[in-house]
Amino acid sequence: MNPPPKRISMEGLDLLCARRSAGAPMPAYVGPLRRHVAEGDRRLLRLEYDASPAALRLWSFLLTEEERLHAAHAAGAKIVGAMKDLGTVPVMAYALPNVVAFYPDGAWWTPCVMELSDGLFCIAQSLGFGESFCPVRAMLGAFVNRAHFPIPDILICSAGAVCDDFSAIAQRVESLGHPILWWEMPHRRRPEPDEPAVELPGGFSAPASQAAFVRSELERVRAALEGLAGAPLGDAELAAGIAEANRVRRLLADLRRLAYTAEACPMPALEMLIAEMLAIHFCSDRAESIRVLADLLEEVRRRVKEKVGIVAKDAARVFWVNPVADLRVMNLLEDSGGRLAGTEFLFSHALDPIPEDLPPMEALARMALADPMAGPSADRAARIVRDARAFGAEAVLVSRIPGASHCALEGAVIARVVREELAIPVVEIEVPPVADPMMPTLRSQLEALVETVQERRKR
Amino acid sequence: MTGTRVTTVVYSSPFVPAEWIAAHGARPKRFRPDAAAAARSAAPVAGMCPYARALAGEAMALRDGQVAVFATTCDQMRRAAEWAALETPAPVFLFNVPATHGTPAAARLYRDELHRLGHFLVRLGAGDPARKKLADVMESYDARRRELRDALGILTPREASEAIAAFDRDGSPPTQAAHGSLPHGVPVAVVGGPLMRGDARVFDRIEEAGGAVVLDGTESGARTIPAPFDRRRLRDDPVLELVDAYFGGIPDVFRRPDEALVAWLGRELASSGARAVVLWRYVWCDLWAAWVARLKELARLPVLDLDVSGDEGADRRTANRIQAFLEVLR
Repeated sequence: MNPPPKRISMEGLDLLCARRSAGAPMPAYVGPLRRHVAEGDRRLLRLEYDASPAALRLWSFLLTEEERLHAAHAAGAKIVGAMKDLGTVPVMAYALPNVVAFYPDGAWWTPCVMELSDGLFCIAQSLGFGESFCPVRAMLGAFVNRAHFPIPDILICSAGAVCDDFSAIAQRVESLGHPILWWEMPHRRRPEPDEPAVELPGGFSAPASQAAFVRSELERVRAALEGLAGAPLGDAELAAGIAEANRVRRLLADLRRLAYTAEACPMPALEMLIAEMLAIHFCSDRAESIRVLADLLEEVRRRVKEKVGIVAKDAARVFWVNPVADLRVMNLLEDSGGRLAGTEFLFSHALDPIPEDLPPMEALARMALADPMAGPSADRAARIVRDARAFGAEAVLVSRIPGASHCALEGAVIARVVREELAIPVVEIEVPPVADPMMPTLRSQLEALVETVQERRKR
Repeated sequence: MTGTRVTTVVYSSPFVPAEWIAAHGARPKRFRPDAAAAARSAAPVAGMCPYARALAGEAMALRDGQVAVFATTCDQMRRAAEWAALETPAPVFLFNVPATHGTPAAARLYRDELHRLGHFLVRLGAGDPARKKLADVMESYDARRRELRDALGILTPREASEAIAAFDRDGSPPTQAAHGSLPHGVPVAVVGGPLMRGDARVFDRIEEAGGAVVLDGTESGARTIPAPFDRRRLRDDPVLELVDAYFGGIPDVFRRPDEALVAWLGRELASSGARAVVLWRYVWCDLWAAWVARLKELARLPVLDLDVSGDEGADRRTANRIQAFLEVLR
C-alpha cells in the first residue's frame, strides 16, 4: 500500500527506501539519499520530499546522473556536452547509437546541493566570474576541477539570442582549452505582415526564413554529431529520436495537467521541478527517464482519483516563473500556504511536443526557435498568461536568477503583461544558490502573496 | 510615427552601416546616449546595463520622422529594444547581428538583416537605393572615413574620440587641425564597451592622473571603424562589401568564438606600447566583465576594472579610481 501523500524528511524517504528494498525489485540506482549526503550533497538534509516510491526513484535517478555519465564514458560511449539551448541538441544526440548527451549547465545546482562546499564558485571567481554572474558560473568550476561530470567529447553551444552570462562563461570554458561548436540562435521575431511564417510548437509563429536559418545551423550540429559517433544521423533516426522525446513530453504534459489543475495538489513543487527538468536531456538516460516519469504519473493519477493532496485544498494556486537556484525554496511555497498551478522554467520548448508531421530537421529547428529565451519577453509573458489561465493560477511568482542578464527587464515585462491580462497578483523574488539567510524574507514574500490571493477570494 | 516620412535613423551599434541608411535617403545618426536619459526609460535600475537604459530612454524622446535601430549584440540591448518599443510610438527596429561568424550562414543572416532594415525604411517612406547609388554613397563614406583615420593620429585621445563621435553623428571628418598637445605619461590603453555622451572626459582623467592614452579600444573608438572598402568589389556587389567590412571586419566582445577580439587586442596592445589597461565597462555588462581576468592573462599588464554606473557622482569615482591606479604605476 502506498503511503498517504505528504512531504517527509530525507530520513523518512530513506526509511521508505529501506522498506522497498525488502520488497519489490528496484532499479539498481535507487537507494537511500544519505549516500549522496556522504558525498557532500548536504542540501538534501534540508529538503522535504514527496513520500512515495515514485519520488524516491526520481531523486535517485537525478542524483546518480554523474555516475551514469562516468560509467557511459568508461564504457566507450561518446559524451556530448550540449550547452544553453536546453532541449534541442540532446534530441539529436540520443538518436545516435552509443551517444549520451547532458548539459554541463546543470552544474548550476551543484553549489546549492553541496551547500557551497564544492568550491565551484571559488574556482569561477578565480577565473573572473564572481557574484555578478548567474550561478551557472559553477559550470566553469566543474570544467576546471573535473570532480563532477566527465569532460565531454564534444561541446555544442548555442550563441546569439542567449543570456550574456552563459555566453561569456562558455567562452571562458573554450579559452581554457575546451573547443566549442557554436551555432547561431537568432533573436526570434514576429513575422512581418507580408512575410512567410511558420507555426512553432507552443503556439507562436516565426518567419519561415528564421526556421530555415536554424535548420541550416542544426545541419552543422548534425554533421558534427555524425563525425563524433561515426554513424549516420539520417532523418529516419532523427524521427525515431523525436518520437522518443515526445514520449517524455507527453508524460510530462499529463503530469503537469494533473498536478497543476487537480483540486487537491497531488505532487509537491520540488518534485515537479525535478520532473520537468528531465525533459531537457533525459537525465542522461532517455529510456529510464520515461519509466521514472511513468511511475510519477501513476502516483499522481492515483492521488487525483482518491482526491488526496499534499497541502490543503484551499492552498493558493501559484504559477512559478524561472527555475530557482536553491531547491529549498520550492518547499517554501507549500510551507507558506501555496501550491504550484503551472510553471515556466525557461524551457517550455523542451516540454511542447515536437511536430512529427514535418521533416525532422525542420521540426527541430522550429522547436529550437520556440525557446522562450530566444524571443521577446512579451512572447514569454503571453505564454505565461495563457498557461496560467489554463491551469487556473491565482498568482504569478517570478523568481529572478541572481546576476542573470535577462531577468531585470524580463521580469518587469512579464509582471506588466500578467497584471494587464489576468489581473492577478504578481511578485518577484530573487533566490541565491543557498538562500538560508534570506528564508525569512522569502517566506514573508510568499506568505504575503498567499494572503493576497485569499483576500481576493473573499471579494 | 504619424505617417511622417523617415528622415533620421538613430542608433549606437557599430554594426549598423551608416552607408546603408544614407543610401535609402535617411540621415544616419550613430550617437552616444546621454546617461541622464536612462531615467526617462523607467526601466528597472537593478540588473540593467546603464547604457542600455540610456539608449531606451533616448528612443522614447524621438520625434516624428525619427526611428531607432537597436542591435542584438547583447542580451541587455535586445531587451532594451523591446522595452523601448513598448514605451514609444516611434518605430523601433531590432537588427539581428549574428554572434557566430566565419560561416556562410552567419554572413547571409547579416545580409538578410540589412535587407530587412532596408524594407523597414522603405515602408516608412525612404527610397529603395539602386546598386550604383549605394556604391556611390559607400565610396563617399570611405573617402571621408580615410580623412578621419588620417586625423586620428594627430589628435589627442579625447579629440580623437570626439572626432569619431562627430563623424558617427553626421558623417563629417575633422575639419580642424589638432590643437591639444599629445600627452606624455604612463602609456595606458582604454578598452571595453561604448561611451556615453561626455564620457570622452575619461581620457582627460587619465592624463590628469599622469597617464597617456595610447589606444582607444572602446566600442566607440577606432576598433569599430569598418575597414576600407575594396573599390572593385564595391562596384560589383556593394552589399557584400558592406557585409565584409562591418560584419566580417569589426572585432567585438559578443562574437563567438571571440578570436578576432583576442587577435585585435593582442596586436594593438603590443604595438601601442601600453603598460596598463583600463577596462571600461558598465555595471551588469557580463560580456566585458568576463574580459577582466582574460585581459590580465592575455596582456600580462595591470588592468583597472572600471565598472561605470552612469549615475551622478560616477565621474568623481572614476577619476579617483584612475588616480589610484596610476599612482601605483608611476
